Amino acid sequence: MRSSTSRLWPVWVLIVVVLALLYAPTLPVIVLSFTDTQGNPSIVGYAELLHTDIVIKALRTSAVIGVAVAVLASILGLLAAISIRELGIPRLVLLCMLLPLFIPGVSMGLASALLFKIMGISPSLVTIIIVQTLWALPFATLIILTVMATFDPAYLEAAYVAGASRLQAFRDIEFPLIAPGIFGAASFSFIISINETIRTSAVQGPWNTVPTYIWSSYKQVGLSPVLYALMGLIILSTFALAIAYLLLTVRRKPAA
Amino acid sequence: MRQALLSLPLLFIVIFMVVPLGVTIMVSFWERAGLRFKPAFTLKSYETIVEGARLDVLIRSIAAAVEATTLSLLIAYPIAYVLARKASPAVARLILLLFTVPFLINYVVRNVAWTSLLGRTGTINSFLIQAGIVDQPLDWLLYSNFSVFLGLISTYMPFMIFPLFLSLAAIDRQYLEASADLGASAVATFLRITLPLSLPGIFAAVVFGFVGCLGESAVPIIMGGVGYELLGNTITSSMDVLNYPLAAALSTVVIVMMLLLMVSWYLVFDLKTFLGKILEWRS
Amino acid sequence: MSSGYLNRRDAMRLAAMAMVSGSAMLPGIARAAGGTINFADIGVGDPNGDWSKYTAASGYNVNLVSIGNAPSAILNVLVSSGGQGTYDIINIVGGMQKPLVENDLVEKIDTSKIPNWAKDGFIDEFLGKGKPGFQFIGFNDEIYGVPTVLQGDSFAYLPEKTGKLDSYAALFDPQWKGYVALEDNYTTAAQKTALYLKKAGLAQIGNPDDMTKEEFKTVIDFLIDQKKKGQFRVIWNSFEQAVNLIVNKEVYVIDCWEPMVFVAKSKGVDAVYADPKEGYLLWAMAAYLVKNPNRSAEQTTAAYQLLDFMLGGWYGATLTNLRGYMTNPQAVEYAAANPSEFPADQAKRVAEITDNVKRKFQAGGTWQNRWPTEVEFYEAEWSRFKAA
Repeated sequence: MRSSTSRLWPVWVLIVVVLALLYAPTLPVIVLSFTDTQGNPSIVGYAELLHTDIVIKALRTSAVIGVAVAVLASILGLLAAISIRELGIPRLVLLCMLLPLFIPGVSMGLASALLFKIMGISPSLVTIIIVQTLWALPFATLIILTVMATFDPAYLEAAYVAGASRLQAFRDIEFPLIAPGIFGAASFSFIISINETIRTSAVQGPWNTVPTYIWSSYKQVGLSPVLYALMGLIILSTFALAIAYLLLTVRRKPAA
Repeated sequence: MRQALLSLPLLFIVIFMVVPLGVTIMVSFWERAGLRFKPAFTLKSYETIVEGARLDVLIRSIAAAVEATTLSLLIAYPIAYVLARKASPAVARLILLLFTVPFLINYVVRNVAWTSLLGRTGTINSFLIQAGIVDQPLDWLLYSNFSVFLGLISTYMPFMIFPLFLSLAAIDRQYLEASADLGASAVATFLRITLPLSLPGIFAAVVFGFVGCLGESAVPIIMGGVGYELLGNTITSSMDVLNYPLAAALSTVVIVMMLLLMVSWYLVFDLKTFLGKILEWRS
Repeated sequence: MSSGYLNRRDAMRLAAMAMVSGSAMLPGIARAAGGTINFADIGVGDPNGDWSKYTAASGYNVNLVSIGNAPSAILNVLVSSGGQGTYDIINIVGGMQKPLVENDLVEKIDTSKIPNWAKDGFIDEFLGKGKPGFQFIGFNDEIYGVPTVLQGDSFAYLPEKTGKLDSYAALFDPQWKGYVALEDNYTTAAQKTALYLKKAGLAQIGNPDDMTKEEFKTVIDFLIDQKKKGQFRVIWNSFEQAVNLIVNKEVYVIDCWEPMVFVAKSKGVDAVYADPKEGYLLWAMAAYLVKNPNRSAEQTTAAYQLLDFMLGGWYGATLTNLRGYMTNPQAVEYAAANPSEFPADQAKRVAEITDNVKRKFQAGGTWQNRWPTEVEFYEAEWSRFKAA
């Protein structure tokens, strides 16, 4: 065991290199967020962010949509994973759940916009959430399935034999085992949601989300210091949250 | 009640997905009448694809997606393996968290940031020139195949680590110990036990990577240079002149291709390798 | 812009925003007493969120929805999704009347409801009936667009690298091989190329504004030949990217928009926007009144008030100052007459930009045509250029 661990050092190097590559583009973003339009160091971006209502509103919209998509996609994903197991037609169900992956984003946006129009649903937060949940659902389902695939149903049968109800067995035995998958599905869906632009823009109606606003600015008027400040704020607060989370878990489980 | 609840996801997909999918395929056979299009059965849009530059774009997109996914898998698998099997849970959790944080930054902003690092006067070239390693800036760092692949891999590879990690972490250690007890080498154990048991994760990872790369339109726009066009860009471009049948035909080609991929997966691997014990489930 | 400091209250708001995902506050569209005009815009028409003068006059708020300027983006939001029932005004680069009117998406403009229309001398001079610029706002002799922004495009260069340049020939000069960028747009880059080829006598092109298939194919063949020789470093796709190409000196000659040069200059880069002897690519933005079957008469009145506001002095001066485009004749007067809102340097800038663009319109060139007769052929050929 020890020898195989030491032989794996190149992989640790790989992890460091890959992480460095992933974080490389965040550095210019943070630097630019503390720079004014003339290129001088400044916090003007952050100060203006507070007074730029359109960006703040877009941030709020994106946050609400992101949370809704994370919750909806992970619940539907969990149900989908269970239905693959229990409806007796696993292939068909799995295929259906993967379908949203097959249509290129542009076409998907157009097709769902048309569908909403035919159904008489006008664009709103709900249409945005539906379109994004569709896109996140295959990812959520696959992640939950990946965890569930290795879970031995014998555990559940044992629970039934011991007199547990289906719900009890699920709650007490299966859920704790597949919880990391559900949590993973929710985080994945959130990240997908707050980056989704192309499908969203087809059904956005009167709403700006952070990515649709950024895309439009990027194309036609340029990224303002306010947008860099927004990204800087997101990354810095994520780091703060991540560190707080780590401190808390370390304190709770000193042995781990 | 229980059945109804379980059919919910299916219903959701059928209503919001199968119908648009059907409409897309149908419209691809329609014909254009001025700026609108009307029901018909014509292969004209498909002829346009085969005759024009779109076929090159289609082939290039598929090739790029396959290459980027393969490279990403080669990077993601060892990382997931080490995190799942050799690292303590706390370390693994921390590193997985570190992999997700950059994705909270908008991908447009992220890719724009790359250009400021990779350009002729960017950070990397400035460093290389100052250090005396090169005298001319390296042009291939940006607006090249290299930068497109860097963009694709850095965007989708981290997504592939997660399913791989989850499937590897879930493998029962007893199997591995039994294999070792029976005198199998570490390599043999990996090939006979770990690799087959991680197939569900590999499948999910490949789907994530391939689908992401194939549909990507921002990376080629931002990092692609002299018109590095991928599928998503050419579909948008055909919509610019309201040629919805052509856009639908291009989408249909992708849909059919993906369905064929799924079918061949069934035929070659059997679903068992992916769904594992789920198929043995008796409800 | 004057808020350069973070005070304590601001800092607390900042902290609160960082936790915004935790607060389950539902986003709401701001409501004024009268209601809200949903205004879809490509970003250029945003006076930094300040609609207070309009709101004071009309009682209506403006909800600005940022959209893309690509025809696909505009038509998709209106044709397929419920954009028609959502938006009141859509403010984009003009010349889109044919697809918009033929799909019954926009209404005719009743100019009598827009008092500032008659005061706008630019409309008659450059965009009036019978003038080539009419294609930006009119269709079949009717007016559909309110011209909010006018501009003449050429290309930019870095004089320290290239010396003075005064012809589009620079874009194709082997001296700058690998240091040239074009815009990814067949109605700008290809049309400028056509203007150059025509004026230089390199190709038989009747009207660069509206080419035949053969003419356009000649242009694309020329561009593909250039591309294969390695002339172009990049075909850019966005404002941000073009600015960075200039600021980072990634390229020396770039087919681009003038405000990008203003931004580059503000960052201390000595870039020049060329005055080519061949003339300019002239264009205008148009605000269209969306044909919304559900809109009330009051809402329509408010929408007209907004269109009128956009032809007014304050809005014009604010936009010219923010974005670097010419707007309307009242902008210059307003900026000069209201030093409390527009300090002397800003008023001067508004006057300079307006004079400069006016000069370009008088010099002429080619009118950007967003919907040429052979638009589909243009699109297919441009794909061929990009895939080559």
